[in-house]
Amino acid sequence: MSAKGASLKGLLLVALLVSNMLLTKEGVTSLPICPNGSINCQVSLEELFDRAVKLSHYIHFLSSEMFNEFDERYAQGRGFIAKAVNGCHTSSLTTPEDKEQAQQIHHEDLLNLVLGVLRSWNDPLIHLASEVQRIKEAPETILWKAVEIEEQNKRLLEGMEKIVGRVHSGEIGNEIYSPWEGLPSLQLADEDSRLFAFYNLLHCLRRDSHKIDNYLKLLKCRLIHDNNC
Amino acid sequence: MDLWHLLFTLALICANDSLSTSDDLLQWPQISICRSPEMETFSCYWTDGNFYNLTAPRTIQLLYMKSIDEDWKECPDYITSGENSCYFNVSYTSIWVPYCVRLASKNQVFDQKCFSVDEIVLPDPPVHINWTLLNTSQTGIHADIQLTPRVSTMVPLYSLKMGRDYEIRLRSRQQTSEKFGEFSEIVYVSFSQLGSECVHSEEIGFPWFLVVTFGACGLAVTVILIVLSKQPRLKMLIFPPVPVPKIKGIDPDLLKKGKLDEVNSILASHGDYKTKLYNDDLWVEFIELDIEDPDEKNRVSDTDRLLSEDHLKSHNCLGAKDDDSGRASCYEPDIPETDFSASDTCDAISDSDQFKKVTEKEEDLLCLDRKDEEESLASLANTDTQHRHVNTQSENIQLWPPFAESTDSLRPSVHHQISNQNSLTNTDFYAQVSDITPAGRVVLSPGQKSKVGRAQREGCAEQNFTIDNTYFCEADVKKCIAVTSREEDEPHVQEQSCNEDAYFTTESLTTAGVNLGAPTAETPVSEMPVPDYTSIHIVHSPQGLVLNATALPVPDKEFNISSGYVSTDQLNKIMP
Repeated sequence: MSAKGASLKGLLLVALLVSNMLLTKEGVTSLPICPNGSINCQVSLEELFDRAVKLSHYIHFLSSEMFNEFDERYAQGRGFIAKAVNGCHTSSLTTPEDKEQAQQIHHEDLLNLVLGVLRSWNDPLIHLASEVQRIKEAPETILWKAVEIEEQNKRLLEGMEKIVGRVHSGEIGNEIYSPWEGLPSLQLADEDSRLFAFYNLLHCLRRDSHKIDNYLKLLKCRLIHDNNC
Repeated sequence: MDLWHLLFTLALICANDSLSTSDDLLQWPQISICRSPEMETFSCYWTDGNFYNLTAPRTIQLLYMKSIDEDWKECPDYITSGENSCYFNVSYTSIWVPYCVRLASKNQVFDQKCFSVDEIVLPDPPVHINWTLLNTSQTGIHADIQLTPRVSTMVPLYSLKMGRDYEIRLRSRQQTSEKFGEFSEIVYVSFSQLGSECVHSEEIGFPWFLVVTFGACGLAVTVILIVLSKQPRLKMLIFPPVPVPKIKGIDPDLLKKGKLDEVNSILASHGDYKTKLYNDDLWVEFIELDIEDPDEKNRVSDTDRLLSEDHLKSHNCLGAKDDDSGRASCYEPDIPETDFSASDTCDAISDSDQFKKVTEKEEDLLCLDRKDEEESLASLANTDTQHRHVNTQSENIQLWPPFAESTDSLRPSVHHQISNQNSLTNTDFYAQVSDITPAGRVVLSPGQKSKVGRAQREGCAEQNFTIDNTYFCEADVKKCIAVTSREEDEPHVQEQSCNEDAYFTTESLTTAGVNLGAPTAETPVSEMPVPDYTSIHIVHSPQGLVLNATALPVPDKEFNISSGYVSTDQLNKIMP
C-alpha cells in the first residue's frame, strides 16, 4: 500500500516537474511569447525598449551630475584629473568603442554585453550608496543620487533581462560578468586616497552608463525602427 | 604708514608681474580646445604663441596616444580642420577610450591634454533650419511655430506675436554636457504678411498706467519736499495749519515748560479771562444759582449746601422745593429757579456726583492727616455752622454773597474733616476772587475783612513757613493769615514754618500774602476791597513765591506790569 502511494506520489511529482520545466522553458509570463519580428511583440518590445532607454538615459544623467558635483566639491585641489585615465573594473569586457563597431556587432551579443555591464555594476553601486555616506560632509545631493542610481540600475537590469528573454531565440549566452574588487579602496583610512577611489568609481560609472545608454538607443533604433532613426 | 607701505609693495609686485608677462617674448604654444561634433570624429586646435619669432619655423607637432597604445603617434590630419589643428577621422576615433594629445617640437613638449571623446562633445550649429506654423491663438495676436534643425529634432517656440519679424538662432549641446555648441545662422521668421491687419492693434496705446504711476510718485515727492522744506510760507500756503484752541498770546510751550508765572501773566492780561475759564464747571453754576436766591442771609453757607448736595439729591431729586441746593445745576444760569424740568433735575444728580468727586479730590489736597490738630477745634465745629470750602475757581464771584453764617440749619456734613478745618475761621477758608483786573490784581469779593477778623489767631506766629519748595498746609496758612489780617488786613511778611509734608494748592490759600525775606511795610490799598489772599505760586527756587503786585513795595515803576505776578527776577530785585 505504501509503496503504491509512494509511487503515485512520485509520479505526480515528476509530472508536475516536467510540466513546470516545459512551461518555464517556454517563458511563462503574463505577456505573450514573442519571437523576433512579430508585430505584437514589437509593440510590447518597443514599450520595453522605451522604458529601458528612458532608464538608461536617466541613470547616465544622474551619474554625470554626481560626478560633476563630486569633482567640484572634492577633486579640485587634488589633481585627480590626471589619474583618471586608470581603467575601470569593466574594462575587461570588450565593448564596441565606436559607432561602426556597435553597428557591426550582433544585437544579441550587444544585449548580453549590456546585461553583463549592468550586472557588474550591481555590487559596486550598493557599496557606493553606503560608503558615500561616510564621506565627511557629503552633500545631500550626492547621497540621494547614489541611492537613486542603485535603484534604477536594478530596474534597468530587470527590464533588460526581460528584453533579452524576448529577443533571444533560444540559447542564453555565457553570462558576462566582471567582478568588482574596489571596496577596500573606498574604505581607506587616508582621506585623499579614499576620495580618489570615489572619484575613479564615479568616473567609471559615468562612462559605463553612457555606454549603456548609447548601446540601448542604438539597439532600439536597430530593432524597433529598423535603423531609420 | 605700515598699511601704505604694504599697499605700495603689493602694487610694485603686481606691476612687476604684469610687466614681466608682457615683456616675455616667448609665449608657449597651447592646445586651446579639442572637440567632437558628433562623437564620431574629433579635432584639436592650438595656438602658436610667439614661438616662431625665436626658433625655426613650424616644427610644432601634435602627438596623440590612446591609453591602449604605448607610443605617441603623430596627428593624421593637420589640414582638414584648418590651421593649427589636428583632425581625427572615424577610424582614429574611439569613444570611451582615454586619449592624450601633446603639442611638441622635437624634444620639447609645450602642452598636453588627456580626455575621452565622450567628454568633449560640442555639437555643430544646426544648418538649414526650417520653421512651420503650429497654431494661432483665437485672438489672432499670438502664434506658435516649430523649428526643425534636423529631421528628428523639433524645437517649438510659443506665443510669438503676429505682425512682427523675428530673428532666431539655435545652438545645441549634448544632454548630459553643460557646454553648448556655437550658435547657428539667423533664421528669419516674419509674420508681417500674416498679421498686417493686426499692426494697429499692436500699437501700444498711451501708457496711462505709467503716467498715473509716475504722476503719483512725483506728487508724493513734491508733497514730502514741501512738508520737509523749511520755508514756512510755502508750507502754510499749501498746508494751512489746523487752528488749535488757543488763548491769544499763550504759547503752549510755556505751559509745558512750567513757566506758570508767564502764563498767568498772560492769562491775567486777558479781559475776558474770567468769563472763559470754568464756564462749564457745573458746581460753579450751582453756586451761582445759590447767589441769586434773594434770601441770602437765611441760607446756609454755600459749602454746606454743596456738601449736602449729593445727600439731598440721592434721596430726592424732584422734591427739592424747600431746598435751594441742587436745583442750580439743573439750570442754566439765566433760567429762573422755579422753572425746571425733570430732565434738568436728573442732570443735577450727575452734577452732584461730579461735585462730589471734585470735593473728594479737594480732600486729598487738604491736610487731612492733620486731624489731630483739628481735634481741638471740633468743639467749634459743633457750634459753628458747617462750612464747606469751595474751590475758588469760579469767576462769577460778584454774585457771591459774603460768607454768612447761617445758624438756622446745621446740615449733616458729609465731610467732617473738611468742616473741621473750615471751622477754624468760622467761615469759608477761601474767598472768591471776584475779578482779576487788567493790571493783574486779584479782587476778592467784598466784605472779607470782617470775616477775616474772626479768624483764629492761634499758632500763627509760632509757625514758621519754610521758604523753599514746600507746600503749606491750609490750616497753617489760615492761621497765619488770621494773625496778619487781624493786624492790618494787609499782606504781611511772615516767616513761618510748616510741616514739610503738608501741601496746599494755590487756591486753597487764604493768606494775604507771604513775602519771603524781610518783612516790609506795605502800603495799604484802601481804595480796593482788601484781598484776602494772593495766589502764591510755587516756583522752584527758594525765592519763588509770588505776590500780588499791589501788595509789594514797588521801588520803581517797572513793577507796574500787567501781570499780577512777580517773577523770580523781579522778586530778587525787590528783596535785598
